[in-house]
Amino acid sequence: MSRVVLLDNEAVHALADPSHRKHRRVVGHVQIVARRKARAVPVSIAVPSAVRVEAGWDRTAPAWAFINRLRIADIPLDASHADAAAAVLTRTGVSVADAHLGAAIRAADQVTVLTSDPRDMRLVAEGKPIDVVAV
Amino acid sequence: MTNYQVIDRINELLDSTDDQTVNTSMRIPSALRDAAALAVNELDLAPSTTVLTANALRAGLEAAVMQAVLDRHFQEYPDARPTLADLAIAAAELDGHPLAGQPDLLRQSAAEVEQRHPAASPEDVLLWAEARTSAAA
Repeated sequence: MSRVVLLDNEAVHALADPSHRKHRRVVGHVQIVARRKARAVPVSIAVPSAVRVEAGWDRTAPAWAFINRLRIADIPLDASHADAAAAVLTRTGVSVADAHLGAAIRAADQVTVLTSDPRDMRLVAEGKPIDVVAV
Repeated sequence: MTNYQVIDRINELLDSTDDQTVNTSMRIPSALRDAAALAVNELDLAPSTTVLTANALRAGLEAAVMQAVLDRHFQEYPDARPTLADLAIAAAELDGHPLAGQPDLLRQSAAEVEQRHPAASPEDVLLWAEARTSAAA
């Protein structure tokens, strides 16, 4: 079974900015993913596109060069994710970005979320067992 | 090509949606090929040996690219390099290890392991921390 590590807005900023106080902490998680991939463990890192918008992460901007190179996949807000996210938003009242995280959580096998708001992540997981890492 | 140009080109190729395939003249040990065929046919490891090989190659390349990017980042920002303890904590947190909520224990274990084994891995630290916990129980 594969595991996906999802990033929220704060985790994106912490990873992208070497001066962020949590930078080394989030880099550590990326390094563990790289080590596991090297051992053929099925694991990946992804960011829902609504989170990327919230974070201001423009893949064409040079400021994001470091994080762009780290094999972090986009989870597009396509029709099915939009429907799932809209339902999460209606039920929980969270932001669009967090609702998209909820839709991504629902679609994945095993999930770890790096987040500044563990409570909201458990809320949008709506009972699905996930691993939440507070950054 | 500079290092970053190489990394960017590999990333570009890994992200390509081009489904075009190519026959290669890559030579692999025949025993390895036979083992892969058996694993595909009898253990349902992958739909085909081609898929199995391509997936393994992709995972290896992705890991190598990520590590290369991190290594260059650490050269530029030495303070960004996680310690062994940081990595042990991250390894525990990523998949909900029972000791994930005990960072102090993991830091102490990392310090102890590192004293005797400077090249220890985060997994070594987790194992040592688990051993300490069960010995204390």
